[in-house]
Amino acid sequence: MAEVQRRKERLDRGIKVRAESIYAVSSWEEAAYLLAPRIILVLGLLLAPLLVQSPYWKRVVTVVCVYGLLGLSFDFLAHFVGLVSLGGALATGVGGYASALANKALGLPVFLSIPLASLAGGVVCTVLLLPCLPLRGVYFAIVTLMYPLVLSRLVEAFNILGGTDGIPGVQGFGGPWAESYIIISALLLCLFGLRRLVNEDLGLILRGVKDNDQAVKASGISVTRYKAIAVFIASTLGCLAGAYLAHLYMWAGLSLFALDFSILPIAATVIGGGGTLVGAVVGSMILVPLSELLREFGTLRIAFYALVLMGFIVVRSEGLMVWAQRKYHQFERWVQI
Amino acid sequence: MEIIVYGIVNSVSLALMALGFTLVYGISRLPNFAHGAFYILAGYLAWVGIRSLNMGYIVSVLLTILVVGILGMAMYRFFLIRVRGMPISEIIASYAMGLFILEALRWKGLKGMTFTLPVIYPGTIFLFDVPVDYQRLLVVAIGAGIVAGLWLFTKFTRLGLALRGIAQDEQAAMMLGIDSDAMATVATGLGSALAAVAAIVLLPLGNIVVEAGYQVLIFAVAVCIVGGLGSWAGAILASFIIGFAQILTVSYMQSHFQVVVALLAIILTLIAKPSGLFGRQKQLEERV
Amino acid sequence: MGRKSFLCFLALALFPGFSATLAPLANAQQAQPIVLGAPLATAFLYGWDAERGMRLAVEEINAAGGVNVAGQKRPFHLEVIDTRDLEPGVPVSDALLAVEKLILEKKADFIVGGPVRSEAALAAMDLLSKHKKISILTTGALTPKYHERVAEEYEKFKYCFRITGESKWMVKEIITCLMDIKERFKLDKMFIMVQDVAHARAGGDIIEKLATEKGWQVTGKEVYPTGTTDFSMGLLAARRTKAQVLLIWMDMPETSILLKQWYDMKVAALPFGSIIAAAEQPGFWKATEGKGEFCLANVVNAGNAPSQATPWTMKFYDAYTKRWGVEPEGYGTSSSYMAPYVLKDAIERAGTLDPEKVVEALEKTDLMGVYGRIKFDPKSHQVIPSLDPQEGAVGTIFQWQAGKRVVVFPPKIAMGQIQLPPWMK
Repeated sequence: MAEVQRRKERLDRGIKVRAESIYAVSSWEEAAYLLAPRIILVLGLLLAPLLVQSPYWKRVVTVVCVYGLLGLSFDFLAHFVGLVSLGGALATGVGGYASALANKALGLPVFLSIPLASLAGGVVCTVLLLPCLPLRGVYFAIVTLMYPLVLSRLVEAFNILGGTDGIPGVQGFGGPWAESYIIISALLLCLFGLRRLVNEDLGLILRGVKDNDQAVKASGISVTRYKAIAVFIASTLGCLAGAYLAHLYMWAGLSLFALDFSILPIAATVIGGGGTLVGAVVGSMILVPLSELLREFGTLRIAFYALVLMGFIVVRSEGLMVWAQRKYHQFERWVQI
Repeated sequence: MEIIVYGIVNSVSLALMALGFTLVYGISRLPNFAHGAFYILAGYLAWVGIRSLNMGYIVSVLLTILVVGILGMAMYRFFLIRVRGMPISEIIASYAMGLFILEALRWKGLKGMTFTLPVIYPGTIFLFDVPVDYQRLLVVAIGAGIVAGLWLFTKFTRLGLALRGIAQDEQAAMMLGIDSDAMATVATGLGSALAAVAAIVLLPLGNIVVEAGYQVLIFAVAVCIVGGLGSWAGAILASFIIGFAQILTVSYMQSHFQVVVALLAIILTLIAKPSGLFGRQKQLEERV
Repeated sequence: MGRKSFLCFLALALFPGFSATLAPLANAQQAQPIVLGAPLATAFLYGWDAERGMRLAVEEINAAGGVNVAGQKRPFHLEVIDTRDLEPGVPVSDALLAVEKLILEKKADFIVGGPVRSEAALAAMDLLSKHKKISILTTGALTPKYHERVAEEYEKFKYCFRITGESKWMVKEIITCLMDIKERFKLDKMFIMVQDVAHARAGGDIIEKLATEKGWQVTGKEVYPTGTTDFSMGLLAARRTKAQVLLIWMDMPETSILLKQWYDMKVAALPFGSIIAAAEQPGFWKATEGKGEFCLANVVNAGNAPSQATPWTMKFYDAYTKRWGVEPEGYGTSSSYMAPYVLKDAIERAGTLDPEKVVEALEKTDLMGVYGRIKFDPKSHQVIPSLDPQEGAVGTIFQWQAGKRVVVFPPKIAMGQIQLPPWMK
């Protein structure tokens, strides 16, 4: 007579519980459970240039990593600090030009110009974005949206930094292996570095700023200062991507401020799963090859990214990696009430 | 003299572009980044009606305003409502929608000089020895008319008063039985319709190209930030300030500073008085 | 998310992998034809004009039997890739990626056409030198830096040729035409309006300097960023300073707005377009509702507007109009049509596809083409220009009169006279 009422219950998997903290080394299964996904990712990225035959697709692999870096920067800012950056192109542009200048005007070799450009570019971007840091999120989005457009106008107008011709003759990497592995190792370092960072003290403060900035302020911590640090980290990553691109194509120009560099990381993060830094990388692994295949359709590919974004928002989807992580760590079952 | 005449025209143009955006933000705190997209979409639909389907000017224009208004309402009701209250997602969502519309139109070929809208009344008159065409005069007239109309609407009609109520204090308005979501839908529809009117009046002065969509968005945002997000008087004052600043830079310096003026205005406002000239949103500041 | 969404994701994720494996299969069957790779901004006038010119030439050549490579007849195969390099927001790296794709994946034997934008063309030179691929630039890229770079580092860049005009020569033609106007109508005040891109700014500066030397008074100069939609202040300034000629150098389509505003304000100045993208197209008349009448436009190479430069000119003009249903439009059309023919001629003389031999053969080209005698300068690989079609490649300046494009310069091929707008008299 009684109606059977059921609800869905979600529990951590046994293996997850068993692999917590020190017990992870108690047996091979637990260690593998924790290490397997990470090893697959690292090995996959490291082996990718070897497995892919045509030089064209090798180039696509490096572009995936570049957009992966940009996506990391966006994800970090949006989901760990609460600042939505609609202008990733700002960082690519600043970093690319900085690196070209360092290489040509200062005569520094590639291995010095890229790190220098990333750090210097990070400082420049942070200074540019400083006025809107004490304010709430929407201002940051608006200002980052505008900066790439205006900066490219300025370069054109004042005819500085090579104007519309750009800065040609930037030093290359001297070999496809160097090209691929420099960016892959940079991506892996940044990915795992950021993951570590968000669990350190600095990361916790930043996450606190995202959740409730008034509480952080009430604890006597300067919110603006920490936001500035976060913006510096994120724009350094973006500038690294830009500097790398300048050396990859041996040329730095206005197109480093292109809309592509702003939109694709956003779409990649949403698809891959926001809040899990690896999601941005996975997202760009999906989107970049897709965009190459869609090259015939011209600008329709940006419409396509936008449509995918809209689809995800309508379905209120959490993203690939969030879903995957949930499935990996937890299981669901029906339970009678 | 030229500067005054063309300065006024430019300022009213900016105000027309920005009114829709500031309306939506003022009422439902929703930054509608698809504003520029609706502007260009309206231009395109009007073009289809007038040139392609030959439906006659008045019919096409009225139909366009109606369709774009309804699209705006639909965008809110079926799409943005799902991310209400999550600021990051709101921004990304409306930006994605705007991007989709603009890039799809660009793919369809909305560039170059082929797409133009006819002026409402052709001809030029000489005002104080400054040649001004009738279309520009109509821009000023229609702009003034719209502002007056909006003011009357929000002061004397039930719907307008309800919108003002939600803008002033959402909780209190809800307690009085005003449905916040319904008002937001109406506001978005109204904002989009205003974008459509702006398009129909301003696009005949140029071509219908997708770049104009991004430009309109930037100008609308600049005007709203300088004037204070959510304040209509502020938006109008800000559009005059920025409008005249632009004309002055074009006359006395090189014209590539035009867009820079908008950015500088934003940065200066954010540094000096973040809530804008007449802004009431003091909680947006959290200066430490 | 449910099972369905997971499957969708799986499909999305695996799709690139599938396509990557299929790609090499497609390339296996293209050993016979000679592949012409064309990196063009196909969504823009200076991209699609080139594509159509090239396709017409390739179709005609293949219909006539193809190219004779040391006794074996092989057809041309045209592979066009959209570089998107004329789009404002697109990185030049995209254009370079497209050129690389043409060379590495599509196995192009020769590159014709672009990249169209000067920065991309210059950047691509290094790429072409790296892969030792011969390239003939046929549209866009007016910068003199291109052929100067070839002359400077000949061994490195000898694979790069340009069969279309460049700005240094264009300026010479323009000054000659301006002097003509000065003589005939007794005008001497000029107002310069240029676009904010390198080639336009440089061109505007040079014209200002040369015109002033020859007795013109430059009453003002305005530089407009790409995408400007309002030229009223500049036009008012021109009117105020009583300028009689508006010197325009812009490659953006917004030039139609400029002409509309010029007409609305009844500015008493003759619009002279050194480069004026909108006015080069037949659709200009409709787009400006006739307000663009009396505008002069320079289409760089003859054949892009009707004239009798050589017997081939009108043959090409009519064939193009028949094939595509519209008259030749931008300034890259006739040059892109000539490029496959010039290549055919060089390959047949060299008897092989070997880049070194074809480079030598190209340097010896002497062909009576659509816009005059086609010869390349042996050091800079730039097509040799002239005011006489029997001597070299001629340019063309035309004026819009009563809905038609009437060629008015050079005098040897002119089909009509320059007229002033009625409110100027």
